[in-house]
Amino acid sequence: MRENTQRRAWQEQANARANGDGARLIYEGAEPFGVETLQRWRLGNGLTVLVLVDISAPIVAYHSWFRVGSRHERPGKTGLAHLFEHLMFGETENLGAGVFDRKLEENGAETNAATWVDWTFYHELLPSDRFKLAVKLEAERMQRLVLREPQVASEKEVVANERRYRVDDDVEGVANELLYRTAFERHPYRWPTIGWMEDIQAFTPEDCVDFYRTYYAPNNATVVVVGDVKERDLLPAIAEAYGAIPRQAIPAEDIMPEMPQLVERRLELRKPTASEKLLVAFKGPALGDADHATMTLLSEVLFGGRASRLYRTLVVERELAIETRGWVSTFRDPGLFECWNTARAAHTASEIQPVLDEAFERVRTEVVTDDELDRAKARLELGSLQQLETVSGKAEQIGFYDTVLGDPAHAFRRVDAFRRVTAGDLRRVARRYLVDATRTILHVVPERSPAPAEAAR
Amino acid sequence: MTRPRVAALEPLRFDLDGGALALLEASRAIPLVSVVVALRCGSAKDPPGREGLARLALRMLRRGAEGLTAEQIDFRIDSLGAEMAVDTAASSVGIHAQVIARNTDAFFDLLARLLATPTFPDDEIERLKRESVAEIVEARDSDRVVAQKALQRTLFAGHPYGHNPGGTVRSVEAIGREDILAFYRRHVVQANLVVGIAGDAAPERAPALARQLLAGLPRGEPTADDVTEPSMSPGRRLLVVDKPERTQTQILVATMGTSPLDEDHVPLIVANAVFGGTFTSRLMKEIRSKRGWSYGASARLGVDRRRQGWVMWMFPAAQDSAPCLKLALELLEAWVAGGVTPREVSFIQRYLVRSHAFDVDTAPKRLHQAIDVELLGLPRDYFSGWIPRVSAVTPEAATAAIKNRIRPDDLLSVVVGMASQVNDALKGSIPRLADASVVPFDIE
Repeated sequence: MRENTQRRAWQEQANARANGDGARLIYEGAEPFGVETLQRWRLGNGLTVLVLVDISAPIVAYHSWFRVGSRHERPGKTGLAHLFEHLMFGETENLGAGVFDRKLEENGAETNAATWVDWTFYHELLPSDRFKLAVKLEAERMQRLVLREPQVASEKEVVANERRYRVDDDVEGVANELLYRTAFERHPYRWPTIGWMEDIQAFTPEDCVDFYRTYYAPNNATVVVVGDVKERDLLPAIAEAYGAIPRQAIPAEDIMPEMPQLVERRLELRKPTASEKLLVAFKGPALGDADHATMTLLSEVLFGGRASRLYRTLVVERELAIETRGWVSTFRDPGLFECWNTARAAHTASEIQPVLDEAFERVRTEVVTDDELDRAKARLELGSLQQLETVSGKAEQIGFYDTVLGDPAHAFRRVDAFRRVTAGDLRRVARRYLVDATRTILHVVPERSPAPAEAAR
Repeated sequence: MTRPRVAALEPLRFDLDGGALALLEASRAIPLVSVVVALRCGSAKDPPGREGLARLALRMLRRGAEGLTAEQIDFRIDSLGAEMAVDTAASSVGIHAQVIARNTDAFFDLLARLLATPTFPDDEIERLKRESVAEIVEARDSDRVVAQKALQRTLFAGHPYGHNPGGTVRSVEAIGREDILAFYRRHVVQANLVVGIAGDAAPERAPALARQLLAGLPRGEPTADDVTEPSMSPGRRLLVVDKPERTQTQILVATMGTSPLDEDHVPLIVANAVFGGTFTSRLMKEIRSKRGWSYGASARLGVDRRRQGWVMWMFPAAQDSAPCLKLALELLEAWVAGGVTPREVSFIQRYLVRSHAFDVDTAPKRLHQAIDVELLGLPRDYFSGWIPRVSAVTPEAATAAIKNRIRPDDLLSVVVGMASQVNDALKGSIPRLADASVVPFDIE
């Protein structure tokens, strides 16, 4: 209570000095983040600020999440959100090329960014006495980025090289891209976040300027600050730095929902790789769907850890595979439940497929044992805790769940949801989602190199 | 909720009765406990023809103990909300585990039992060998891993640092039960172990927990460190690792680096950070920012008990590979000839000093630093005295360290790519090239 009185006092002082309505601080309340407390603020211009004070180390994580990702692109312009993320480290009206990074490095800070289907985020990790530098730099590039031809051309080359590294010369990268392109026919999840190579190479500075003006606005962003910082120092600094940035009319999303898949899709990919790979992907639930946590638990029972059903059968007992793993995509709209299998050199995908089918049939017809359920829950609890070990990890969890679901403490709600799941729930989601007609199967076949491994050994 | 600040930067140390050392870094920041059981020797001690033995022997720990099958062990680890993996390097091999704090006692009971009573069942040994071989084959899909392995075996040819900690298909297949038993009897003894505990474990209980872990092991003797100092073959060499259907290359350029006991070790770290240690370093600026040739471009110094490599890394499109390598070599020569400027040194010192906070912000990180000090034979204040030592480096000392340690005429360049596409151009991009060869990517 006393804390809130103090908070109101300095908030009023800051607002009395505010330069325009955009810089007004609005306190939106506290919410529990595990045993800690998250404070939610908003600026008059719509910028959301989430603060978690954590003084376990003298450092601060400063994350800027934008509600824009590759889902907001259109065919012919794929990869723009990601290219733009690269350009955000370039020149601004007040900072020459390279100065953004140099200033951060000089102050000991680490910085990077990431883009995916639903979001883009920028992160800094700073010594706590340097947090105002991140405030200043992030506000600067939210409004005064310079986008000119030489920089755009050079960064397109960098991104093309990133694509070669992550996709074109990486069998898993190519397979993943092909899987999503086949599984989705209408929804933007069908194109890769890094973009098709021809689109990357065709972008102009005008494309980038349009994108910047459309999506990089305070009312389309959330700043997350976790670490050894005081709200009364942080919030006025944020209000001052961002307050003059005008809000924008963010266009309504014009996304074609994916039509239900009624027929299984199969395809084959030939690559110079050591062994066959088999990807089986069912249409899965959206992250915000109550079934998402349940499907995640089902995936854990099947694929999580050495004691999981499919790891035991495929890798340990029958030695058909060297790797088997499952993942329920954590997207805002319904994504995929992906099952990735790497066959051993002497075995084939056709030997793995029936084992998967049998395992899927079993979870559709029988309930899993209590031991299996408990193991999966314990593993997911461990994974959830591991994601919260550092201030950066906490900031990422807060920013991700706030951006995708509007619920910054959802990480804890998920753990609670995992605890409540019963064996019957798993069977229900297995029946709902593990439907053969909704799956896409990709078979990666090795193209043998001229010098076979055995001969060269 | 407020939490205690980090009180000290060095973990508590306990000498256990059997000659082992225990390190504890307590923290209530998150209800997790990390544990490390590390040997004071690693893959450098693998017998010739049995490379991969240290790693295989420790991986066997979860494949059978008295009264427990491999399956039961796996089930138990998962049900406790724990993870357990083996980390293998030239100078140390160890078990790294983490568990939800409420299950600490049960997990330590299990780990103590695995350490004290491994059964090394024949069928499980053969199963793990097949698994290891499959992993080696699968790793050929990663061009970066292929490049690193090729660099290691060529740069340190004939030296124990030259073999991969995971071994080769042939060496793993040659390992027998007797090899594993002999390794275990000789090296997994109390006097050869360092135990680390970090996280949500009460400090007063740590010595007892550490003792409990090792209780079933004989006292033994520490393994002698008789690894010799590696030397570098003279001249400039190019090794192209031929892999089909590549659109880019992975380029590693290496020479011999530094030993942490060298007086100019820290000055060289400072000089290297200027050259290729950050996003605004010389390499990154010239190769990525100005030309867009590679997504990444960096240089790093390996740290080990003996002198490790100094390695540059970049991955340009196939058609840019030769000009990119040529430029990297020019930058290297300019760095060696001209050294670093006072302005560069003062900039990078600010970066290295201020960013040090991120190396010590969690209990597991602080623990791992203390373990590295023990296992790599680093000076006791290597990490705790990091800030004053980095701050004390002068531009003259940094420049002298480069000239003293980095030999641009003794240089190994390893390139993974399509040889037919890049080999000739690459040869032309290396002045004074003494030797060039091409090998297939699946040689190991």
